[in-house]
Amino acid sequence: MSVYSFYIFDRHTECIYTKRWAIAQSLRRTVPTNALSNGDVPAVARRGLNAEDDAKLIFGTIFSLRRMVRQLGGEDDHFLSYRTGEYKLHYFETPTQLKFIMLTDTRVGNMRTVLHQIWATLYVEYVVKSPLAPTEHPKGVGVANELFEGGLESFIASIFPSPTQ
Amino acid sequence: MASSKVSRVGEEVWKSRIDKINAEVVTLTYGTIVAQLCRDLIVPNTASKTDYTAVNAELDRMGYNMGLRLIEDFLAKSNTGQCTNFRETAEIISKVGFKVFMNITPTVTNWSQDAKSFHLVFEENPLADFVELPDDGRAQEELWYSNILCGVIRGALEMVQMQAEAHFVSDVLRGNDTTEMRVTLVRFIEDEMPPDDE
Repeated sequence: MSVYSFYIFDRHTECIYTKRWAIAQSLRRTVPTNALSNGDVPAVARRGLNAEDDAKLIFGTIFSLRRMVRQLGGEDDHFLSYRTGEYKLHYFETPTQLKFIMLTDTRVGNMRTVLHQIWATLYVEYVVKSPLAPTEHPKGVGVANELFEGGLESFIASIFPSPTQ
Repeated sequence: MASSKVSRVGEEVWKSRIDKINAEVVTLTYGTIVAQLCRDLIVPNTASKTDYTAVNAELDRMGYNMGLRLIEDFLAKSNTGQCTNFRETAEIISKVGFKVFMNITPTVTNWSQDAKSFHLVFEENPLADFVELPDDGRAQEELWYSNILCGVIRGALEMVQMQAEAHFVSDVLRGNDTTEMRVTLVRFIEDEMPPDDE
């Protein structure tokens, strides 16, 4: 089990926090290209994108998925995660429209409670209640403070034991 | 959610998850803030004539900034999800919101026909204990002593996609029979769209 990255988006659809973990080798292995008969660009080429583009792509994806899910399953329906051959994306949204997203490998189970906990015990305590942090976080100002980062680091470490084993 | 269930949630959260503070500390701190504002905000070109409209506005602004953050803490602690309608919102504000933060449950009454505004009647108000308004003939008419609460509600609702307006309509400090606040839903705020990415 390993975690790849973690994002927070605010209600203005802006990415206010990003964290990436060292990518496990399994994900980086060469993708077999022989299956692609229609001349598609192999998936490896996508790695040219930077972190900012990644965040935009992820937001676009969840934004559309969220809509689709609501149209199909009614106003109160939410999507929880989706899985591709390479990774699994976990999604959690608060009533204040903060969106918490985590990318992990495909074997990981439901992470909704984990994301909820990151919000309730780390984000609320260390970011929202920090008197020096602004109320809104344009460009992520005030989110990545030491307490929050440290808390997140150790919380994730407690769930995903070190990959070096 | 049924009304009794809402009260139970409020009770539960207040008992188990809230750090308590001595009520007098709150009352006295708040009193000091209001008193200081009354000293600081003076009608231009007068020596010491308090501009009570400015004091009300400032209290509202302070409350608004508190509400923007408080809602996050509130949601994290109470675990209430999205409300289905404004009536439910009113119940939650009264029975969970005020309960967990101030240990009071103002009564929700006086719904307007279109169910977009209601009154909160405060039987008790910890902010206003020991308070007498200044005896200058104007404070009784102009100052809304607990106006910070209006701002809190406005700020908190804004973060959950409801633009609302709140103001006091009566206050026992002014000699009225009850302390009442009117909360009006202006509109639901639409989801923001990501900027077009060319």
